[in-house]
Amino acid sequence: MVFLRNWDLFRKRERPAVLQAYEAGPWPDPRSHWRDASYVVLDVETSGLDPRRDVLLAIGLVGIEGGRIRLDTCWRTLVRPPEGFLVDASSIRIHNLTRAEVAEAPTFDAVLPSLIDHLARRILVVHVSQVDVGFLNRALRTNYGGRLAGPIIDTARLAMRLHDRAQILGEIAHEQPAPTIQLRALATSMGLPVYGEHDALNDALTTAQLFLAQATRLDPKGNLSIKSLLRSGGV
Amino acid sequence: MEEITSFLTGYPPFDQLPPQAVARAARGMQIEYFATGQTILEFGGAPAKFLYVVRKGGVDLLRETGSEIEIFDTLGPGEAFGYPSLIRDQAPAVTVRAHTETLAYLLPSELFHRLRDENPAFHRFFAAVAFDRLGFALKVRQDRADPALFQTRLGDLVRRSLMVISPDATVREAAQLMSKEGISCLLVDLPPVGVLDHNTGIITDRDLRNRVLAAGLPADTLVREVMTAPALSLSIDSLAFEGLLLMLERGIHHLPISEQGVVVGMVTNTDILRRQSRSPVFLPRQVDRATGLDELRNYTDQVAMTVSGLLDAGARIADIGRVVAVAHDALHRRLLRDIEMEIGPPPVPYAWIVLGSEGRLEQTLRTDQDNALIYADDAPPEAPAYFRTLAHMMVEQLVACGFPRCPGDVMATNPQWCQPLASWQAMFRRWIDVPEEEALMRSSIFFDYRQLYGDLDAEAGLRSVIARTQGNTIFLARLARAALRATPPLTFFRSVALDDERIDLKTRGTAMVVDLARLFALEAGRSETGTLSRLQASWPTASVSQAAAEGLADAFELLSLLRLRHQHQQITRGEEPTNLVVFPQLSPLERRELKESLQIIARIQRSVAMTYQTSRLG
Repeated sequence: MVFLRNWDLFRKRERPAVLQAYEAGPWPDPRSHWRDASYVVLDVETSGLDPRRDVLLAIGLVGIEGGRIRLDTCWRTLVRPPEGFLVDASSIRIHNLTRAEVAEAPTFDAVLPSLIDHLARRILVVHVSQVDVGFLNRALRTNYGGRLAGPIIDTARLAMRLHDRAQILGEIAHEQPAPTIQLRALATSMGLPVYGEHDALNDALTTAQLFLAQATRLDPKGNLSIKSLLRSGGV
Repeated sequence: MEEITSFLTGYPPFDQLPPQAVARAARGMQIEYFATGQTILEFGGAPAKFLYVVRKGGVDLLRETGSEIEIFDTLGPGEAFGYPSLIRDQAPAVTVRAHTETLAYLLPSELFHRLRDENPAFHRFFAAVAFDRLGFALKVRQDRADPALFQTRLGDLVRRSLMVISPDATVREAAQLMSKEGISCLLVDLPPVGVLDHNTGIITDRDLRNRVLAAGLPADTLVREVMTAPALSLSIDSLAFEGLLLMLERGIHHLPISEQGVVVGMVTNTDILRRQSRSPVFLPRQVDRATGLDELRNYTDQVAMTVSGLLDAGARIADIGRVVAVAHDALHRRLLRDIEMEIGPPPVPYAWIVLGSEGRLEQTLRTDQDNALIYADDAPPEAPAYFRTLAHMMVEQLVACGFPRCPGDVMATNPQWCQPLASWQAMFRRWIDVPEEEALMRSSIFFDYRQLYGDLDAEAGLRSVIARTQGNTIFLARLARAALRATPPLTFFRSVALDDERIDLKTRGTAMVVDLARLFALEAGRSETGTLSRLQASWPTASVSQAAAEGLADAFELLSLLRLRHQHQQITRGEEPTNLVVFPQLSPLERRELKESLQIIARIQRSVAMTYQTSRLG
């Protein structure tokens, strides 16, 4: 036991090789067209909204290549909460997860290599980034002293940006309220299908479609660069 | 992912795939979002790498004809594109452009091909050639037909061993053989026994009763004197339904079944009827058994019920037309015979003619009367008065049986349409030689005629006149131009996505095929009047290819069935049947059938326009 504990401490100090490789990039060229870049769209399920107090319970993600969502890259994993952490009954209900399910899930340690492999060299797309990014960074920092390294786009920000632009162009009335921040309502308002139950993968898919629709709208001339897109919705 | 699976299974052909195949397709999908006006596939550009399924929004299919760009189809949710290019790995033949923001599911090439290899339904649905797709669509409909009537072959029904008797045997010997074997029918033949030729006949227990006993003939009468020869026969490959129809049309109960010219057995009407759960073809017998006009008053309702029974059983449109014709013929015979009983025999032979859809054997649900009367030329002076009386009584009785009068007054009660043969020949000749507007309108009604009753052979009298159309380029060109007046409402599909516009399945559907088929038949000098038989008979001589004729026939069948199903539903709901359907209310499969049918018609109309240079005519 003592030996194991020492090994554990050692690992927290030295960042794992996968994380180091991840941080080195390279990241998509900001001058290229937005459809030419690789993206990973991510959503997390947590025990609550406070990254300092709550923990990650599940991660879902899907890739976008060449402007197309690749369903064959869908990935979802549950994450076992740290030992002794009691998951609140209300969040169990929200996510349709059972305590047994999360108790048997792989630890964040075990999940890390796959997660990093999915994130590497791709622009991260999330809806309301504070929560998801906050939790991921918290997990990376407490476990390895690392953090997310690449560019991040927030679809909630893109929604605000599109709203502002439409108002400036007079496409919508001035008094029209800002769009909802709620993912599903936002997708529905754009005529997009929403995917299944509220879980990390379904929400990542809904976010991915929302992102494609938003970027397409921001790109009427077909020349929108990654740099411009990041200016509109980057974090 | 379940969302994609359940979306896909809502549309053909994914609804035909096993659940695990749909799930595999869904897992392998890609999703793309297209801006309004964005070109997705380009005519002559890079081959499609995916099968595209519209999830949200819509795309236009554009074809460049010379300098013009024509939108020839608009696809909405659940509809797929890109497969002709994908299957052949060739440049797209059409440009596909998003007409609104469009979300599409993209099935990668290798998955598409695997689904096609593993699922015949999927393979057929995504045929690269439009003609094939239409043919397959029809086949799928027919595969769902009632197996008893529409998939059983007569060969499957032949059970008992065949008993043969010589024509020189006596009727007593025939009766003894029947009673010993417990059968009701014998094959009558000389060696080589069973080879179907002019002296192959049959003798039935009914013949013994009606032609021997009732006629007071002695027991040593020879079989050859009372047999029926040559006997009608069908091949073992014929459908059971075909056999039943033939029996109904000819009023017979036994049918020798042959294989490559040799009789292999006998089938009776009960052999066939035993196989079906409920009999949709009871009508003609009821008509014959009716004791008076009162019993025939609900005749058209019974026809409607019969038609819906056949429709549910999956009958072909031509078969439904034939069943209805058999019943109508029986009704007409019955009524005219009763009238003759009442007013006395006709002074000269005559022919009672039905026109239009009834003439083409395409009458199905409720239709107006369209009839005419032709009588022999050597008629005495009292003949016109006699036939006028007969026509008035007949039209009245038809009204009583549920056939409304013709609003255009094309009925035998109109003196213009109740004339001696020579006048009819003169009228037909004038219509052909001077193809003015009125003549073209008349020919579209009167060239589709069929004789239902009477001893005058009207067909023989008119055939030579109608043959004048062959090679008559002026008449044919005028007829072609008239046939192209109505065009398939293709651009319409774009607007129907938005509101509930209606489409007329007759004037912008079946009637266009009817007109084309008539044109081809007259061009080929054929006297067939049914649309399908016209198409089948005319392609070897007329300016239409076999593939095009068959494509038109498939389109006609699909459109007719759609129209009939629709009318059937209206009647079930207690509404008056119409030809109008609301496009968005059709099922996805029906929408596709409708579109593909109209596209084939448009294609053949274009080639007819080229052949006849209809745009140059004044």
